[in-house]
Amino acid sequence: MTTLAQNKKPKNDDSANSATVIETKALCRHFGQGDTLVKALTNANLTIERGEFTAIIGPSGSGKSTLLQLIGGLDSPTSGDVLLDNRHISQMTGSELSDFRRDHIGFIFQAYNLIPVLSAKENIEYIMLLQGISAHERAKRVTTIMHAVGLEGLEDRRPAELSGGQQQRVAVARAMVSEPSIILADEPTANLDSKTGIELLDMMKTLNEQQNMTFVFSTHDPKIMERAKRIIRLVDGCVVDDERRN
Amino acid sequence: MTNNNASHNENTATAIVTRLAKRSIFRNTRRTLLTVLLISCSLVAILFTDAFVRGMVSTMVKISTQTFLGEAQIHHQGFRATNDIDLYIENTRNVYAKIADTETIKAYAPRVISGAMTSSSDNVASAIIYGVDGHKEAKVSKLKQAMVEGDYLSGKESEILLGQRLAELLEVSLGDRLVVTVSQAHGGDLSQALFRVSGLFSFNERNMDNGMAFINLSQAQQLLNISGVHEIALRLQNLQQADDKSLPLWQTFNTETLETLSWQELVPQLSSMLAMTEYSTLVVSIILYVLVCLGLINTMFMSIFERQTEFGILLAIGTRPKQLFIQILLEGFFIGLLSVTLGLLLAYIVCYWGANVGIDYTDLEMTGMTLNEPIYLIVDITSFIKMALATLLVTVLACLYPAAHAARLQPSFAMRKTL
Repeated sequence: MTTLAQNKKPKNDDSANSATVIETKALCRHFGQGDTLVKALTNANLTIERGEFTAIIGPSGSGKSTLLQLIGGLDSPTSGDVLLDNRHISQMTGSELSDFRRDHIGFIFQAYNLIPVLSAKENIEYIMLLQGISAHERAKRVTTIMHAVGLEGLEDRRPAELSGGQQQRVAVARAMVSEPSIILADEPTANLDSKTGIELLDMMKTLNEQQNMTFVFSTHDPKIMERAKRIIRLVDGCVVDDERRN
Repeated sequence: MTNNNASHNENTATAIVTRLAKRSIFRNTRRTLLTVLLISCSLVAILFTDAFVRGMVSTMVKISTQTFLGEAQIHHQGFRATNDIDLYIENTRNVYAKIADTETIKAYAPRVISGAMTSSSDNVASAIIYGVDGHKEAKVSKLKQAMVEGDYLSGKESEILLGQRLAELLEVSLGDRLVVTVSQAHGGDLSQALFRVSGLFSFNERNMDNGMAFINLSQAQQLLNISGVHEIALRLQNLQQADDKSLPLWQTFNTETLETLSWQELVPQLSSMLAMTEYSTLVVSIILYVLVCLGLINTMFMSIFERQTEFGILLAIGTRPKQLFIQILLEGFFIGLLSVTLGLLLAYIVCYWGANVGIDYTDLEMTGMTLNEPIYLIVDITSFIKMALATLLVTVLACLYPAAHAARLQPSFAMRKTL
């Protein structure tokens, strides 16, 4: 079996070799103002190393999704800074940020969020097409990743023709196929049944161990917490606990 | 090498953006079809209006020039302004010789014109008496075709043709006697002559049928005591020559004594009306394009709001705002392409029917002119192409605002229901 790790080429920039993948400095995100001010995240200082399998946990409204959005460059912080692969994402222009997300970050969403008019294969290929990867290389990677996530034979099906578990596998494949530095996953198992959720988590854990890919989850799911090497607990927008496990 | 890579990246990105745009327009088939129908019907309306206006202009010009006016007329300087019967063209042989030498003139009809009092045994009416050469007049005007009763002018003494309504007014019929009284040239002495009604005509034009009478040219000259003619109506080789002031015709027959005018100058009110009708196509087009724009903007916004989360995802996974902008514009372009294809097909069917069957406006009067034949639509291919391209452009332009809105979306806001 060909794995993604075998296909993966080393990145030229120094950041690829750096141990720190994510660094947040006094990160704050506030919504509204005056009486309606909501402090979704307050003074978050975090460092995440390459190859970590990290879970951000906390009750609803504790700021997990906000933290993931800020790390992924999907939202702008009220104050503070985010460094991804040693690059200040708050200083990037819109297009630079788009390219950065395309090349360095993989997203997995709770609601799968596949493009409904594209087939499973095309959804997986999408980012590579934006990157301008050759047809031959795309075909090779798609075959490999579809095998890895157990979607062989379903290449031409549209999302509506796939089960929830299969859609989430496509989402995982899409996030990983472009070989990003980090994968941000927001409650990836929330809409899946227990068995499918475990299968997917085991698959992601294997990819993490085999390819040293960094995973950051926002979750309530005990199954993710069991597998995480590090658990960051948020309460009311503040990091209250940061536990590393062997 | 780097440039090649960048170009390859752009190509593959453009390919996927185009594929997304194509497939997205059929996501809500009913809405897309309704939008396509709205745009194509608007295009059909614009093209129909354009073809109709062209047909109407052509019909009106044809009616105006071919019925009696001719494409141009020669008068003595000042005659048209004063209607003074003393201002007639004297040296007609010379003028006729020049006309014969002018290639652009296909036929001509000399006319003597005078206001007259016509009296029957029962009634009296004023009329314009035209003295014409029956043979030459038949080559320029439709007087011969307009005959509804009796015989056309044969050149015999005392023949008179009356408008059908004038005959009704005078209560005369074929063979009845009629006295014509005119004021002679060179002094204004009254002159009378007795005529027998030899024929009745109807141009389907109220003013002409109410107030015109035709007698033979020589008798008219005798009656008015003149040796020349007041008017020479010209039939040109084609209508467009009336617009071409560079032709030698205009120099030859515009002299110190002669004034030659085209049909546009002879009936300026018709010319102005025709210019105005051409604006009507523009006005209809603008109104319909505004409606198309508003309809399309509404459709695209509905589509964008429905797909807001999806756009958030596309932006989150690395689609550039510019690429999303292009995707929406391409969706508009494809909708426009479908609409234009359907619109052209429908417009062709409608205009083909209108060009062959015609639209019957018979007896409708416009600017004193009665439409006495159907209006046949005239399809102008250049106009079809221009309007089709304009529609395509309008659909793309209408998508600029929705596309800019989509491109400005912040991924976190667009996806707030999910991430």
